[in-house]
Amino acid sequence: MAASATTYKDRQFLAVIGDEDSVTGLLLAGIGHVTDGPDAQRNFLVVDAKTETSAIEKAFVNFTQERNDIAVLLINQHVAERIRHSVDSFADPFPAVLEIPSKDHPYDPEKDSVLKRVRRLFGE
Amino acid sequence: MEGLLFNVNGGYIEGIVRGYRNSLLTGQHYNNLTQCETIDDVKLQLAPAYGDFLASLPPNPSTSSLAGKMTDKLVAEFRYVLAQATGSTAKFLEYLTYGYMIDNIALLITGTLHERDTRELLERCHPLGWFETLPVLCVATNIEELYNSVLIETPLAGFFKGSLSHQDLDELNIEIIRNTLYKNYLESFYEFVNTDSDFKGTPTQEVMSEFLQFEADRRAINITLNSFGTELSKQERRKLYPEFGKLYPEGSLMLSRADDLEAVTLAVSISADYKAFFDAVGLTQGGGGLGGSDGKSLEDMFYHKEMEMSKVIFTRQFTPAVVYAWMRLKEQEIRNVTWISECIAQNQKERIGNFISVF
Amino acid sequence: MSGAAGREPVFPTRQSLGLMKSKLKGAEVGHSLLKRKSEALTKRFREITRRIDEAKQKMGRVMQIAAFSLAEVSYAVGGDIGYQVQESAKQARFRVRAKQENVSGVFLPHFESYTEEGINDFGLTGLGKGGQQVQRCRETYARAVETLVELASLQTAFVILDEVIKVVNRRVNAIEHVIIPRTENTIKYINSELDELDREEFYRLKKVSGKKQRDVAAADAELLARREQEAAEAIAQGDTKAKPEEEAPDAPDVLGEQEDTDVIF
Repeated sequence: MAASATTYKDRQFLAVIGDEDSVTGLLLAGIGHVTDGPDAQRNFLVVDAKTETSAIEKAFVNFTQERNDIAVLLINQHVAERIRHSVDSFADPFPAVLEIPSKDHPYDPEKDSVLKRVRRLFGE
Repeated sequence: MEGLLFNVNGGYIEGIVRGYRNSLLTGQHYNNLTQCETIDDVKLQLAPAYGDFLASLPPNPSTSSLAGKMTDKLVAEFRYVLAQATGSTAKFLEYLTYGYMIDNIALLITGTLHERDTRELLERCHPLGWFETLPVLCVATNIEELYNSVLIETPLAGFFKGSLSHQDLDELNIEIIRNTLYKNYLESFYEFVNTDSDFKGTPTQEVMSEFLQFEADRRAINITLNSFGTELSKQERRKLYPEFGKLYPEGSLMLSRADDLEAVTLAVSISADYKAFFDAVGLTQGGGGLGGSDGKSLEDMFYHKEMEMSKVIFTRQFTPAVVYAWMRLKEQEIRNVTWISECIAQNQKERIGNFISVF
Repeated sequence: MSGAAGREPVFPTRQSLGLMKSKLKGAEVGHSLLKRKSEALTKRFREITRRIDEAKQKMGRVMQIAAFSLAEVSYAVGGDIGYQVQESAKQARFRVRAKQENVSGVFLPHFESYTEEGINDFGLTGLGKGGQQVQRCRETYARAVETLVELASLQTAFVILDEVIKVVNRRVNAIEHVIIPRTENTIKYINSELDELDREEFYRLKKVSGKKQRDVAAADAELLARREQEAAEAIAQGDTKAKPEEEAPDAPDVLGEQEDTDVIF
C-alpha cells in the first residue's frame, strides 16, 4: 500500500516461465532482457519435460523475490501446477504473478490461484 | 546418351525415390486429415504412410513431436538413398545436406557465443545436417577456435572461406552469417550442377538450374522484403543476394536499391512468374496486412511454385534431381501435417485448408 | 473482565464525560466515513473482480491466437526458431511503467506498457524465409502481452484492494462493535455516578439547609422572644423601630442559596 511507491518504481520488465513455444512468442513480442556483465541474468526460463521442479522453483523465487525489476511474472499454467504451493502462497502485490495458458494446455480457470480467491470471495 | 548409362549407377536410387514419391499424401489423405477431431485421429490417418515411426508416440502427442517423428522417417529414407549413391550422385546428395548443415553451424555459433551447453545444442541440430565431425565443433570454447574447426572439420569450409572471417562470427548478426553461407552454398551448388562432367548437358543440369535459380530469386526477394525497417544496410543486403538466377544481375541490382514494396515489385517484373505472385498477393504484403484466411501470402505463393516445380521434376528421368524434388515435397508434407494438427489442436478449423496439397 | 471491558477506566467526572461524549461523536463520524470508504472500495473491488474474470477469458482467446501465429511462423520458416530467438534476446523492447491511481485514498498501481524504440533483437530473424510471418507473430504477441499487462494491473489491484478492504472492514467492525458500545457504556457509567453524587449532594444540602432552617428558626424564635421582650419594653417607649428589624432574618437565607449552587459546581 503505502510502501509500494518505492518498491515498484524500478519494475519495468516482464518475466516468463513457460514452455518453449510460449517463451519464444513472448520473446518475439520483445519482453526478453538479458543483463550485461559476466553474471548475465535472463528474465525467462524454458521449461520442458526434463526441467526439474527445483529449477522452476528457483527461477520463481528469483523472479518474485530476489530481483526487483520485474513487474509482471508470466507463468504457464501447467508449469504453475508443478510449483502450485509456491504460487499459491505468494500473495504480494509485486510482482504480479499471472498464469497464462500454453499451446498444449488450454486455460483452466479452476486452477488459477487468483481466480480461486475470486471464487472464494463470491462463491459463498 | 545419359539414358544409356545413368541407370548403371543411379537407376536404383531413382527407382527407390519414385517409390517414396508414391507414399506421399494425396489430396484425398489431406481431406481425411482435415476432418480429424484430435491429434490421435491424425496419427491414425497417417499410420499407413508413416507406420512404425508414429507408433512410439504417446496418446495425443504434441504437434512438434509428431513433426519430429515424421522428419525421422524422411531422414531414415534419405540416409538409405545416400548410402546407395555413388560418384557424382553421392556428391549431389551431399550437397542437399549442406543446407541443413548451415543451419546447424549457425546454431552452434549462436550457442558458443552465449556459452551455452553444447550437448543441448547438438540435440537441436537437424539430423540431415549432421556430419560425423559435428560434435567436434562443440569442443570449441571461443569463437576463433570454432571458426578454425569449422574450416578444418566441416564440408562447409568453402562457404566460409573468403567471405567470413572469425571476427565476423563475433560481430555480425547470426542471420547475416547464415544467409551469407546460404548464398555461397547456392552458388556452389549451381556451379556444381552446371559444370560437373556427369551432369553437364543432362536433364539434371536443366532442372536443377531452374530450381536453384528459383531458390536464389526467392531468397533475394525475401531478404529484401524482410530487411525493410532493420539495420541491414543496402550494401550488406546486396552481398547476400546469390549471384545467379532469373533476376540476376539487373533485378538484383534493382532489389539492392529498393526501399519499399513498389521498388521490389518493379525489380521482379523482369520475370513474369514473380510479377504474377506480387500481383496476386497485392499490396497487402509488407503493409502488415494479415493476408486474410483465404488470401495467400507471398511465402505461400513461393511454396506453391516450389511444389509445382518439384512435381514436374518427376516427369524427367535419369536424374538425381528427383531426390531433391522428393525431399522438398516431403518437407512440405511435414509442414502440411504440422499445420493441420496445429489447427486441430488449437481449434482453428477455419484456417485448416491453408496447406499446399500437390497431388 | 466484563465489567471492566464495558467501559474505559476513567474517573466519573464531568470533564471525562465531556471527553467521552466527543469521543463517541468522533467514533460515529469515523464509522460512517469508514463504512462509506469500505463500500466504495468494495464496489470497485467487485468491478475489478468482474473485469478480471472477463480478462482471463479474453486472455485465453488472445493467447490462443498468438500461439497460432507462432504455428504460422514455424510453417513458413519450416523449422524451429525458438532457440535462436532465446539467444538473440538482449534488451527488452516491451516494458511496463507503473502508475498510481487513487481510489478512496488507496493507491492502486496501474501498469502501462510501452515499447522501447530502437531495440530490435529480432529484426533479422527469418531473413531468408518467413520474415513476414515472424513480423506478424511479433505484432500478435505484442498485442497479447498488452492484454496480459492489463490483466496484471487488475490482478495487482485485486490483491491490494483485497488487503485494504479487509483492514477497513476490520476497523469498521472494531468501531461498531467495540469502541462505540464501550464509549456509550462509559458515558452511562459516568452519568449514573454523577447522578448518584448529585443525589447525595442534594440530600446533604437538604440536611444542611434543614439544620440551618432549624437554627435560623431557633434564632428567630429567640430574637422574636427578645424582640417581644424589647417590644414590651418599647411599648413603654414607642412603636416606631419595629419595621427595619424585620428585614434581617431574610439575609442568611439568601446566603444559603448561594452556597447551594456553589456545591453543584
